[in-house]
Amino acid sequence: MKTNRRRFLGHGSAVVLGAMPSLVSRAVMADEGTRSNRNGKILVVIQMSGGNDGINTIVPYADEGYAKHRKKLRLPTDRLLKINDSVGFHPSMRSAADLLEQGKLGIVQGVGYPNPSRSHDTSMAIWHSAQVGDEDVLRSHGWLGMAMDAARKKTDDPDMILVGDESQPLAIQSRRSTAVTLSSLTDLRLRQPAHAQPKPTSDQASEFSLAQFVDQTMQDAIATASALERNTEGGADGSAKYPTTRIGRRMQTISTMVKSGFQTPIYYAIQSGYDTHAAQLPSHSRLLREFSDATKAFLDDIEASGLSDQVCVMGFSEFGRRVAENNSEGTDHGTAGPVFLAGNRVRSGLTGTTPKLTDLVDGDLQMSTDFRNVYQEVTQAWLGISELQAAESPSSLKLFDA
Amino acid sequence: MNDPRPTEWKQFIPSDALPWDLRRIHHLHRRAGIGATWGELQRDLQAGPEVAVDRVLRGGNATDDFDSLQRLIGDAAVSSGDINRLKAWWFYRILYSGDPLIERMTLMWHNHFATSNLKVANVAMMKRQNDLLRRHAMGKFGDLLRAVIKDAAMMVWLDANANRKGKPNENLSRELMELFTLGVGHYSETDVKEVARALTGWTVRGGDFEHVPAYHDDGTKQMLGEQGDFDGDDVLAILLKQEPPARRIAMRLCEVFFGEDVITDDALDELASGLRDHDLDIGWAVETILRSEAFFSEDNIGNRVLDPVQFMIGPLRALEMLDPPPSTLLLAEWASKLGQDLFYPPNVFGWPGGRSWLTTRTMIGRANYVSALCRGELHRPNRPPDIAVLAKKHGFSTPADQSKFASRLLLGHENATGDMKAILRRPASQLG
Repeated sequence: MKTNRRRFLGHGSAVVLGAMPSLVSRAVMADEGTRSNRNGKILVVIQMSGGNDGINTIVPYADEGYAKHRKKLRLPTDRLLKINDSVGFHPSMRSAADLLEQGKLGIVQGVGYPNPSRSHDTSMAIWHSAQVGDEDVLRSHGWLGMAMDAARKKTDDPDMILVGDESQPLAIQSRRSTAVTLSSLTDLRLRQPAHAQPKPTSDQASEFSLAQFVDQTMQDAIATASALERNTEGGADGSAKYPTTRIGRRMQTISTMVKSGFQTPIYYAIQSGYDTHAAQLPSHSRLLREFSDATKAFLDDIEASGLSDQVCVMGFSEFGRRVAENNSEGTDHGTAGPVFLAGNRVRSGLTGTTPKLTDLVDGDLQMSTDFRNVYQEVTQAWLGISELQAAESPSSLKLFDA
Repeated sequence: MNDPRPTEWKQFIPSDALPWDLRRIHHLHRRAGIGATWGELQRDLQAGPEVAVDRVLRGGNATDDFDSLQRLIGDAAVSSGDINRLKAWWFYRILYSGDPLIERMTLMWHNHFATSNLKVANVAMMKRQNDLLRRHAMGKFGDLLRAVIKDAAMMVWLDANANRKGKPNENLSRELMELFTLGVGHYSETDVKEVARALTGWTVRGGDFEHVPAYHDDGTKQMLGEQGDFDGDDVLAILLKQEPPARRIAMRLCEVFFGEDVITDDALDELASGLRDHDLDIGWAVETILRSEAFFSEDNIGNRVLDPVQFMIGPLRALEMLDPPPSTLLLAEWASKLGQDLFYPPNVFGWPGGRSWLTTRTMIGRANYVSALCRGELHRPNRPPDIAVLAKKHGFSTPADQSKFASRLLLGHENATGDMKAILRRPASQLG
């Protein structure tokens, strides 16, 4: 049985739950308000739901196929944020370009899997479970769930937290690890701080170790709640500025939890809306801005808290879009697309082969990197979990700095 | 209990060392039921342990219209297709059935045969499984197992539909042995494969169990040292005559009715052996436990972390807050915040229980629940409990007496100081 939670106070001083004795506050202050899982790595996954148009995200502007296939949706070359002499970011991804400049953004190009499915559900299930195949393949568990099962690192906090109000994605379902959904921080706030209560001295139960455990857990919860309050009040020094978008708020929630000492290694947030079949330009631009701004704000905030070596953000989508635009100024379901990894320890820059818009299969991009190899890097090199079954084929993919 | 052998499970007989006092009665209701009112505590104090335990075992006290009302609420939940309403239905049962032990046992089996609506996604199926668990909760384990393995929700949950001749799916087979009956170490990977073959043909069609002979692999299988052209029924019969299931059931029951480190291996073995002698009669085992000295021993009082449902409902019952009824939809929501989202166990292993109920998130949830309860926010419109009025009703008129009353009512002893809210926020209020 686990008894050693984070300790901020010595044993034995029974604290009445709901009270916020000055002792606790002082103890938290002494720890500078960050009670983080100091050794553990944290992965924050942003699911870009709907199928992100990777071609208009990391734009292969020098590829002659780009102008050929994208008439109305072609982004003007002079507005792109150039990465090199052949590709550039969508103009609204200024924050991502800044991260790249700071050496904190890895872009894996052309990520997909063989015989791609163009069904949202099936392709998402494939990405979630890392099990390639048609819709009949049984997919009971997710890749993150299986990673947590393999890690078997038990903390008092859930292994995986979905921040949002969607139902839990398959990616975080598992045979025995814990995943919870947290729709807002309200659930982690003490509604009634109240006054200090006199220390009870006569509870018969308090001699037993179980009562001590309960007492300690309460104290930790109170300390966390109070750290959470302070971290919510504008970040470490008030400098954290998050966009007021849904994904922005979710990332802020995650950062608040990380800073407040949650031991959870996996956070998951969903950004919806990428299914851009019609009038794509304005909505896609907004989505990419929201994604980039939220990610950058999150990493800045994490860095200001001194936790940047522990945190990595990963952005993925279930598929890309078709290379040729449709007749509604949108794009239909396609295949491979970019995966983003952001953080202090990621190997920054472009990885993998840039997909060629002149070398298509049935009008779709060919994938150059199997997403399972990306997962393998993330689980092994980042999360340090090597017990998982290896990906289909080994790769020399290196996504993190040693 | 007329078991003649020397026993770890000797009957509890009150003595100077183990008196039949308010504390033990409080313990009985908190551990085996879901809390008790002052009237019930006093009634059982007069009646003695034999009668008090009889009452717990027999249930009763439901209002006349309980059954028709619960049926109405349950059916409405099913036709609405809203799982939250089914959760609310279960809370209605827990509050008003008059047989809290059965509801606790149903919850125990919901945990043992943990099936989540996350995958089943069918309110009608989840309700049918719940009815089934309740029907067999105190019966023979064999009947329960046979019913639950052919239950549609379970079959969907463990992919029975995908288990076909020629392409077996091992999900149901593995959990049947690992989690439901034998436990790790009592079967081999070959057994998993062979049992999966035997279970082919059992499938769900139109929401109901159906045996489809065309899907069944009728070849010869070998499992657990036996050989034959087994089907699902044969598999269950073979599993039920093995030694390990009795011990797993005994362990489950001891998790529910005992605190940490109370039950020795010898006691567990003896209970398992008794279960085998009684054809895995769960009711027999529960009665043996509730009448035992071990159950009423000093070590067993107040040393188990209350699960969220007990933690939430205990004070509601004790404080007589059931008329008018609290919002059962709200209760279901709170249970989820406290980590026990009914019909959504976290995975096939169910809720790990014990100390793992208490995490940062759920501790804060518990504190906030107490606040909500004390502010009367579980009722719509709000209806704060008034402990002074309740104390007066039961004959305690001075403030000092009222404080003692609150402590005795909520904790079973009079040593806790402070008001109702302070008592409910004590570490001791998490235990029982």
